[in-house]
Amino acid sequence: MSSLRRRLSPYFLLGPGTIWLVVFFVVPLYFMAKLSLESGTVGSLEFDWNWSNYSEALSEYDTQFVRSFVYAGAATLLALVIAYPLAYAIAFKAGRWRNVMLFAVVAPFFTTYLIRTIAWETILSDESPVTEFLHAVGLAPSGHILATSWAVIAGLTYNFLPFMILPIYASLERIDVRLIEAGKDLYASAAQTFLRVTLPLSAPGVVAGTLLTFIPAAGDYVNAQFLGGAGNRMIGNVIQSLYLSQADYPSAAALSFVLMALIMIAVVVYIRFAGSEALMGEDTV
Amino acid sequence: MVSSKKDPRRISALVAVLVAAATLALGLAACGGGGGGIEGGGEEREASKVKLEGKASGDLTISNWPLYIDKKTIPNFEKESGVSVKYIEDINSNEEFFNKMQPLLGQGESGGRSIFVLADYQVVKMHKLGYLQEFDKAGLPEVEKNLVASLQHPAFDPNRDWTAPWQSGMTGVIVNKETAPDVKSVCDLFESQYKGKVDFLNEVRETVPLVMKCEGVNPDEATEADWMKAIEKIKGAADSGQIRRFTGNDYARDLTSGDAVAVIGWSGDAVQLQEDNPDLEWRMPTEGCMLWSEDMVIPIGAPNPTAAEAFMNYVYEPEVQANIAEYVNYVTPVEGVKEVLAKRDPELAKNQLIFPSASFTKNCSATPVFKSEEEEQKVIKAFDSVLNG
Amino acid sequence: MEGRGAQAWRWLREHAVNIVAALVVFYLLLPIAVILLFSFNDPSGRYNYTWVGFTFEHWAHAFSRPELNEALVTSLKLALLATVISTIVGTMMALALVRHQFFGRRPANFLIVIPMATPEVVMGAALLSFFLLIGTFSLGFETLLIAHVMFCISFVVVVVRSRLIGFDRSLEEAARDLGASSFQTFRLVTLPLIMPGIFGAAMLAFALSIDDFVISNFNSGTTVTFPLYIFGAAQRGIPVEVNVIAMILFFFTVAAMGFATWQQRRAEKMASVRPEQETGIGVAVGAPAAT
Repeated sequence: MSSLRRRLSPYFLLGPGTIWLVVFFVVPLYFMAKLSLESGTVGSLEFDWNWSNYSEALSEYDTQFVRSFVYAGAATLLALVIAYPLAYAIAFKAGRWRNVMLFAVVAPFFTTYLIRTIAWETILSDESPVTEFLHAVGLAPSGHILATSWAVIAGLTYNFLPFMILPIYASLERIDVRLIEAGKDLYASAAQTFLRVTLPLSAPGVVAGTLLTFIPAAGDYVNAQFLGGAGNRMIGNVIQSLYLSQADYPSAAALSFVLMALIMIAVVVYIRFAGSEALMGEDTV
Repeated sequence: MVSSKKDPRRISALVAVLVAAATLALGLAACGGGGGGIEGGGEEREASKVKLEGKASGDLTISNWPLYIDKKTIPNFEKESGVSVKYIEDINSNEEFFNKMQPLLGQGESGGRSIFVLADYQVVKMHKLGYLQEFDKAGLPEVEKNLVASLQHPAFDPNRDWTAPWQSGMTGVIVNKETAPDVKSVCDLFESQYKGKVDFLNEVRETVPLVMKCEGVNPDEATEADWMKAIEKIKGAADSGQIRRFTGNDYARDLTSGDAVAVIGWSGDAVQLQEDNPDLEWRMPTEGCMLWSEDMVIPIGAPNPTAAEAFMNYVYEPEVQANIAEYVNYVTPVEGVKEVLAKRDPELAKNQLIFPSASFTKNCSATPVFKSEEEEQKVIKAFDSVLNG
Repeated sequence: MEGRGAQAWRWLREHAVNIVAALVVFYLLLPIAVILLFSFNDPSGRYNYTWVGFTFEHWAHAFSRPELNEALVTSLKLALLATVISTIVGTMMALALVRHQFFGRRPANFLIVIPMATPEVVMGAALLSFFLLIGTFSLGFETLLIAHVMFCISFVVVVVRSRLIGFDRSLEEAARDLGASSFQTFRLVTLPLIMPGIFGAAMLAFALSIDDFVISNFNSGTTVTFPLYIFGAAQRGIPVEVNVIAMILFFFTVAAMGFATWQQRRAEKMASVRPEQETGIGVAVGAPAAT
């Protein structure tokens, strides 16, 4: 292969995809930025560096921002607690059942997102066996779970659980078994081995999983719409309402940017704290 | 594989990408066509008029709300007229549908549709923006003949030049007779015994006036302060958990599953709900209901307006309308349907929900009209902030 | 000797992880069971929220609603097109990123990851802003296709790339030594071996596209996809047929996944690349939904 062709071939391969992503991802963000600085109503919008859209967005919807991050954080935490044992079981204890269990993890993806969430409406309905059971054991003080923040958090946890399980599983599965055996030799108890060998080695997976869960959850609105009640609306609901119902595009655009900025800050802080280059996939063959 | 994040080549590559993106963006903006009408001057338009072209034929596309027509009318119309109809049930909210269509309407197109069915207040807005066509009355003899008297001369379209009512309805309370037998007024929904089991409608022009009414204020004479006071009351109930949630039609879900025992709801739905749960019934609030209408309109740029008028005319024939009334159970705008139904189903013909008597609706109010655009904006914004929690 | 209590406690501790795992699996599958159950429901009215009675009728007449069928067909067409385009484009990108060192590799990597890390509501909103201000594309099928390809590309790249990383290049070298041109090598050696990865990526793209709601909600104009139909119907009562079709899609995806796994096993046999931890040549998770 000629040297020039060799030099250019990555660009040919990369070209179409990069152009698509730049034109339809990067550029729209620019346009949304433009929209966020306009004022007026539909049919007569004007660009006039209207920064008040941002300040108004922040002051008017601060409750929803906080709420979204709280719900997303709670859901991420819950997902982590639920996902880790399962990922561990699949990686180390499943044997023949491994593929079946992986299937079970991925299966919820195969049903439409909306229908899954609506199924939870039925499961968590006030008079369903599940709700009555939870009420009986004291986990539902006000008698109903649906239309409360807990239902929304439960929905978020469920819908993003596979995003938490799979990365953790992937990194657990990669662990060289001999390291764990060595750990068992060195440390007295299984718990110690886990804490000092397994857990740290699975850290990249945990980091990836928490990010892949938290980020979409923070911007979600479907769960709040179907499972939440009055006072459970997230920032995603507001953005959707402003765009599609009220057609207040400038405010909606400003809100979207604020959301993105806040998430990015949270992510950067988190990555700094957790530290993981493996996320970016820097490996080559 | 950890390299310095400050690698100058990497930064300049990033800059190159951003510059390319920005150039592309500006280029696209320049060659793109006029921003789809959401930017710019907001000019007013001349109203255009439908030009009838002989007998109806060809294709017709209609946009309507879901479950708002029976199963026989469209096939029968197609057989009788030879027009091929595409009936799309894609209207779930007045605002959302309008916002979807607005970029097209701004450019004089209707997205291939020839009839929309939208609420009074929405069509008024569209008419002001010049998005609707005036009818040629020659194509609507049945409408002229059969429109019920009470709907013939509304303030916003005194001669029914550009609207033809599709159905009317009443907003009141739907209660579960077993679990909430004592709910007789919208104000009863604020009682603490129903905490967390009550849904309110997310329509500002129905929910807030009802609350005003049950507090003794006439919506037609309400000041902005009255509106805000009612909204405050609703907000308080939402914050305390009294109101379970704000819904559109999905209050039906809560009622049938027992999650809600009383809601603000629409008369036509109640009859349908009773099939699922006979304990549910619609009640006229003691302070009266809200009356509303949804109208058929022909947008500008509509293909085949001749067929559109033919369809409008067709559904105003009492026999045809009787089929629709039987299925949707809303208040029919067509005279003579009662007699037709009396022969088929005497029970249905006596139903106050479909054929409300004047005394039944004596305390009811029509959809309120805001005194100014500022007032409208303020009220809508305040109510939306309650909806958004 | 251990008492019964101590024995039970020990058994519990040993199997604690498995018990929890089983509970989690139950939790994951519960909604699917509910959807399946209610697809056999026989509601008397419009609303499918409480159990009334058992019937096969809706399965027998699953495609009796024209609007639902149309929405489904639109979704399928969209997903197919988006899958084809994004798989081809994404695979090309993955090949470039994994096999070549070139100027701009880092930013390209970055560009791929960012869409996956952006909340859908922001992506959908940005695209809508773009389409509204540009006016060149009319909101509808074309904008949906553009949007779907956009968010699928990243996932395709990630999946194919992870496949390529575990790939044994000695086979390609052998082919080259035997006189094959680079194109022949690619076509006859590389492509078949990475095909399971490509297929997995394609399936992921298809699933993402057919399931997409948020981005579609913003950019569909008046076109109705299957999830958008459900959203609209959720207001007025979701017909039982929706449950039926959701289950049909489910079983179909299961079958496709089974097929993909079988293909992967075959490819592994062909290349004698086994997931052996000792040698470190790990072929990672077989499930197409790997991150």
